[in-house]
Amino acid sequence: MAASESTRITLVSNDGAEVHVERNVAERSMLIKNMMEDLGEAAMTQSVPIPNVNESVLKKVIEWCEHHKNDPPAAADDDSDSRKKTTDIEEWDQKFMQVDQEMLFEIILASNYLDIKPLLDVGCKTVANMIKGKSPEEIRKTFNITNDFTPEEEEQIRRENEWAEDR
Amino acid sequence: MVDVKPVLPAEIISTILDFLPIPDLMNFGRTSKRMLEMVYEDSRWVQRLKIMGVWNEGEARKRFEEALKMKREMMRIRAEEESKRTGIGVSGHAGPRKTSTTLFDAGVEEERQKRSVEMAAKAKTSLDGFETLKLSSPAQSSPTPVTRAPMLDPEALLNVFSVVKSVRGSARLEFGRIYAALAPFYYDLARSRSHMDPVIFRVYRDPEQQAQMLSHLQIFARSDWAQGWRQREEKLTTMVGVFENAVLREFEQGYEAWDIDGRMRRYAHVLGVLNGGHAGIELFVQKHPIFSDRHILGNPMDCINHASADGIALEPSREFLENLAAKVNEQGAIIDRIFPVGQDVFQVFLDKVGEDILMEYITPLFDEAHERSIPSYLKAVAGIFEQTLRFAVTLTPSKSSGADFAEKVKAVVSTVFEPHVDLFLQEELDYFKKLAEMEVGTWEAKLSAQEATTESFFMANFNRQADKKDFLTSFKKVVMMPVNVLPSLPIVSPFASKTAPAQQVVNRSSLQAPSPGLSPGPSRPQTPGLGAASDRTSTPLPGEAPTDELAAKAALMASRMEGIRSLFSIEVALDLTHGAKASIERAALFVRLRGQTGEEAREQCEAIFVNLLRILGDRHVKGGFDKAVDHLSKYNPREVSEHQQGVAPLVTFLELVNVGDLISQMIDVFYEQQMAGPKLSDRNDFLDPAVKAKKKFEQMLDERVAAGLNKGIDVLMDEVEYLCATIQQPTDYNPAPAANGKTQDFDIGPTKAAEQVVHLVESHTKMLTGSTDKNMLDVFNQEVGLRLFTALCKHLKRQRVSVDGAIKLISDMNLYFLYIRTLKNSDLLEYFKALRELSQIYLIDPKHAKEMAEVIADGDRFHGIFRAEEVYEFAERRADWYNVKRDVERAMYGIGCVAM
Repeated sequence: MAASESTRITLVSNDGAEVHVERNVAERSMLIKNMMEDLGEAAMTQSVPIPNVNESVLKKVIEWCEHHKNDPPAAADDDSDSRKKTTDIEEWDQKFMQVDQEMLFEIILASNYLDIKPLLDVGCKTVANMIKGKSPEEIRKTFNITNDFTPEEEEQIRRENEWAEDR
Repeated sequence: MVDVKPVLPAEIISTILDFLPIPDLMNFGRTSKRMLEMVYEDSRWVQRLKIMGVWNEGEARKRFEEALKMKREMMRIRAEEESKRTGIGVSGHAGPRKTSTTLFDAGVEEERQKRSVEMAAKAKTSLDGFETLKLSSPAQSSPTPVTRAPMLDPEALLNVFSVVKSVRGSARLEFGRIYAALAPFYYDLARSRSHMDPVIFRVYRDPEQQAQMLSHLQIFARSDWAQGWRQREEKLTTMVGVFENAVLREFEQGYEAWDIDGRMRRYAHVLGVLNGGHAGIELFVQKHPIFSDRHILGNPMDCINHASADGIALEPSREFLENLAAKVNEQGAIIDRIFPVGQDVFQVFLDKVGEDILMEYITPLFDEAHERSIPSYLKAVAGIFEQTLRFAVTLTPSKSSGADFAEKVKAVVSTVFEPHVDLFLQEELDYFKKLAEMEVGTWEAKLSAQEATTESFFMANFNRQADKKDFLTSFKKVVMMPVNVLPSLPIVSPFASKTAPAQQVVNRSSLQAPSPGLSPGPSRPQTPGLGAASDRTSTPLPGEAPTDELAAKAALMASRMEGIRSLFSIEVALDLTHGAKASIERAALFVRLRGQTGEEAREQCEAIFVNLLRILGDRHVKGGFDKAVDHLSKYNPREVSEHQQGVAPLVTFLELVNVGDLISQMIDVFYEQQMAGPKLSDRNDFLDPAVKAKKKFEQMLDERVAAGLNKGIDVLMDEVEYLCATIQQPTDYNPAPAANGKTQDFDIGPTKAAEQVVHLVESHTKMLTGSTDKNMLDVFNQEVGLRLFTALCKHLKRQRVSVDGAIKLISDMNLYFLYIRTLKNSDLLEYFKALRELSQIYLIDPKHAKEMAEVIADGDRFHGIFRAEEVYEFAERRADWYNVKRDVERAMYGIGCVAM
């Protein structure tokens, strides 16, 4: 009892909701992990505010952390070969990411803020998959991008990159 | 990106872009200006080029700087023009605006220039594209659904990587060119199902071209990290594997048919192009016939079976290595023919030769030799190592061997010998220790049996220094003799035809003649014993080499120094140094291996040297000196019945000092030649064990010599006094007056006693000249002189001297003086000058008492060496003292009284 109590911490989202979570789950987030290390014992009793994330997203993120709590800690991959991180999205994550686009972006932003690298990667890959195979017009539609090219400019760019077309 | 609510920051978009395949990436770029900028970002493309290994940062920087310079130049010109224009035109507030314009201009210019470059390049690419479309459609008869857009001239595609340039700002274009060339093949291959399917094998028919393309694709695959790259790469890898296997099979068939210049050559090149050709090299080396029919190369046991118990026959091994070298060189030539330049197949081959053939050969041989006897083992290891090094030198590097070929071959040799070196070095040291101990031990045993009776043997006054120099030069010659472990073996020479037989003879005798201990066993030529007989002995070989000279000289020395035979022997020292030389030379061979082994070998060499000094110094020389000093201190002139010209133990001792010095010099020469010369030991490193041991040895020697000399002086003076007491006749200085009252007719010259004393002292001091260091010699001479002076004074005071005898006395004193002058010690000379002056007081006629008193009181006359009281005491020894005493005293003191 005591042990599980001591490993639980409280996170507070920006809309004031308290979320209780096991410490090792929460520490998937490097932000929280570092904070814990800095605060020490005090963190156990206090609640930790997460000002950039609202309740639903925070819960979603924690759900992911819960599922991945036993993953080996990500190696410091800043300098490692960029292709090594490009593994395929595992099935559970694929399902997990089946959310509306707004939520998807929120998750990405939250994982970026909380510094959860694997989740950020999964999010980015999901977005990349959404882009794949779409024409520029479709992409604009999907991501709500305004076209600020003149038709001539657009044509020029197309020709410039002809080599990449039609694999 | 303007989204409904959440907006992704640029860094995240950038991350997302990393996951996109190229076509989607480009599509994404077309959505808006901001996205385009992000997609076009140079670093994104540089990264891809870098991963393919075609980006050269240095080159890029150079180009960039050049461009910058040009731009600056242009800016300057423009600014000049501008200023001219403003100068001509209305001035106003043109100044500040001008600068801002130029600044703005620069930015725009840069932008514009970059654009134009891109445009140009782009135009070129698209042009290429068109061209190929034209070209490829007829060539391909295109039933293929997709006319792969820029399917350029297939030949040109093969060189796609070689034309890549590293230019900042145009990495995307460069990548585009590569992509256009390779992506079609790549993705086609990734999609294909069987190995016959991919278009690459249809476009290219030549295996060379196929290999080239596949290796390009392998490089290209590295830049593909969009999702699914793993499967694509796997596919590529399997395809390459299939292809490689097919080529390898061809190669193998060629190999079996020994079709060197045909199939083997061709497919080796194909494999080389494909992936460096490791598989082919492996196959070639693994299946090489040289490794299967090695029995023709020889049986290692021959070396042992043909040799005597302690020896080792190195001839079979030499033949073996020669054969091997010939074969390997032959193979090297073949390898050059088969494999393309740049693949160091020969090295791989050599590694294998070392591991499989050399190792197999030497290991049983060494094991067997080790079991049989240590000396033969030592000789075998060193000898075969030497031969192997020679073998390594005879190998001719192949065309693709690097400049470090020799190093690499050495590395092969060292791996072969590595496992044996430790044991060898240990055995070597033990063996030497044992040998040395034995040598000294035998000698001691012999000595105690013989009993030291012949000690009293006076040395003729032969010229020691010349003799020693002579001996040392011979010794040096021998020590400097080339490394000769190989031919030092007794049996070898009859067939060692190629390796300079003349030199061998020399080497052989060098090791054998002076040191019979080195070649024990039945083949031992004979024992040059300790006696003088050994001049004749030497070796039975004809054509005496300079070393026999040394043997002879050693024997001669020994015979001359017979007197000290019982103390220590120069021959033993010689034998020991020769043993050490052989051991060190054997061990030193391995120093050439460098690295840890080399270092160990070097340490072992030092250890051998240290042991040499320890055994030679502590056991041999020190014991001898101690004994000699002991003899000296026991000496009592009065107990010795028969007096020759010298003090026997002192002579012995001085002789010993000579020999000790000789040995010390020998060690020095040995050190210089064997240790410092080949860099086995650093003579300036005072912590070096060898240097330390050498210092200790020399110190020990000096200490012994000093202690002995101290005793020696005592003894010498005892002898002097004894001589004076026994030989000096009371009538010498006080001849009995003749009956007729006239002085007897006597010859003017020194007395016999003085002659003997001088002779005695002189012969002893001379003996030391050149044997110890100059300082010690000076101190010794000074001491001897002073003591002699004291002894003479004492002696004089016991005499009675008449005016007639004074002549004799003066000539005695002159004799002493002359002798002392030869010592070239000015301080000492003063004493004897004073003594000479003093003797004149005896000459003064009794009538001139007053003058005598003056002489006595005249301190200057004796340079302050005698005070008046002392002179007075001497004057008392006048035979007629009681007659003149009164007058003298009156003259001396009376003058004073008058004054008072």
